[in-house]
Amino acid sequence: MKTISYAAALLCLLGFPVASATDWQSDPANSHLNFAPSYEGMPINGAFKEFSTSYQTDSQGQPNRLIVNIAITSADMGNSDLNEAIGAIDWFNISDFPEAQFISEEFSDSGKETFLARGTLQLKGFKKIVTVPFRWQVLSDSSASMTGELVLSRSDFSIGSGEWASGEQIGVAVKVWFDVAFTTKKPNL
Amino acid sequence: MDMSNTSEQWGWLSKILHWLTAVLIFIQIPLGFYAESLKLSPLKMDIFVWHKSVGMLVFLLLILRLLWRIKGTIPDTVNASRIPQYLAQGAHYLLYGLMILLPISGWITSSAANIPIKLFWLIPLPALVGPDDAVKSLAAEVHEISVCVLLAVLVLHIGAALRHHLLLRDNILKRMWF
Repeated sequence: MKTISYAAALLCLLGFPVASATDWQSDPANSHLNFAPSYEGMPINGAFKEFSTSYQTDSQGQPNRLIVNIAITSADMGNSDLNEAIGAIDWFNISDFPEAQFISEEFSDSGKETFLARGTLQLKGFKKIVTVPFRWQVLSDSSASMTGELVLSRSDFSIGSGEWASGEQIGVAVKVWFDVAFTTKKPNL
Repeated sequence: MDMSNTSEQWGWLSKILHWLTAVLIFIQIPLGFYAESLKLSPLKMDIFVWHKSVGMLVFLLLILRLLWRIKGTIPDTVNASRIPQYLAQGAHYLLYGLMILLPISGWITSSAANIPIKLFWLIPLPALVGPDDAVKSLAAEVHEISVCVLLAVLVLHIGAALRHHLLLRDNILKRMWF
């Protein structure tokens, strides 16, 4: 799979039209990436307002590559005090790490349009292997949607360090869920 | 001692509710100022849990007091000139009003700030409003002004009770005591 995609990328670079692969790009206006830490066991919902996702499928519609770029600076927890608080060094440390990225080129098909993407999440200077389950639905030749939900451990990325690390008040588990609308990229030939 | 109020005396239920509320308010006000003064930390959040819990307890006690007051009678007002009588009555209604306004504005502040409430780390309260910066600022402002008014009215309330007891030497304070 990897070799094929490298070959395809190479062909693209050489200017050959590769009919087999389809490049999808997220439509920011209709895409949502949400997260919810918990306080005393109760969820507090937040969202990353700015992120972009590119996704490539092969000729069979199977996943080739998934890249998600997230502007951590766009994290919105619904209140300016909270938004300021989560940017601090103990939390996201956004001045040093304004962006996060997830890249996966390793997929498994779980059937019924659902897949698992195993990849690297780079967040707050840490790189961790994360498996993201998602459902991929092609709606037309040029539109599709990707939805999914997972739970991350904030301590894997030292988010909420120091006196917050115990997870007693702000839980260690953080729910992340997304609903991303895709359109096909115009062929760049 | 009777549970019910008479025209001369407060019954023991009213007395207990009054003094319990008094103690809670005297814990509550410093708790609020202390929590507000702290920088964001687990301690601040815990102090706020106490503040919210005590505040809702005062609110609950107030509801019981109002129901009990509506249901029964209250002791007669003392023979005083009109102005102190109006002042006393006004102060009492203001105290009741503030004991509604403070917990509700605090609850709205917390909801609008997107901070869920769990009283005594046990009882979750639903959010009254969705997250909203403008609503949060307004509710916080109302909360702050209300506590300043409360402090002023408490000075009047306690001052008047002491005046009755020490200067006028009547039974106003005694009839609320055990």
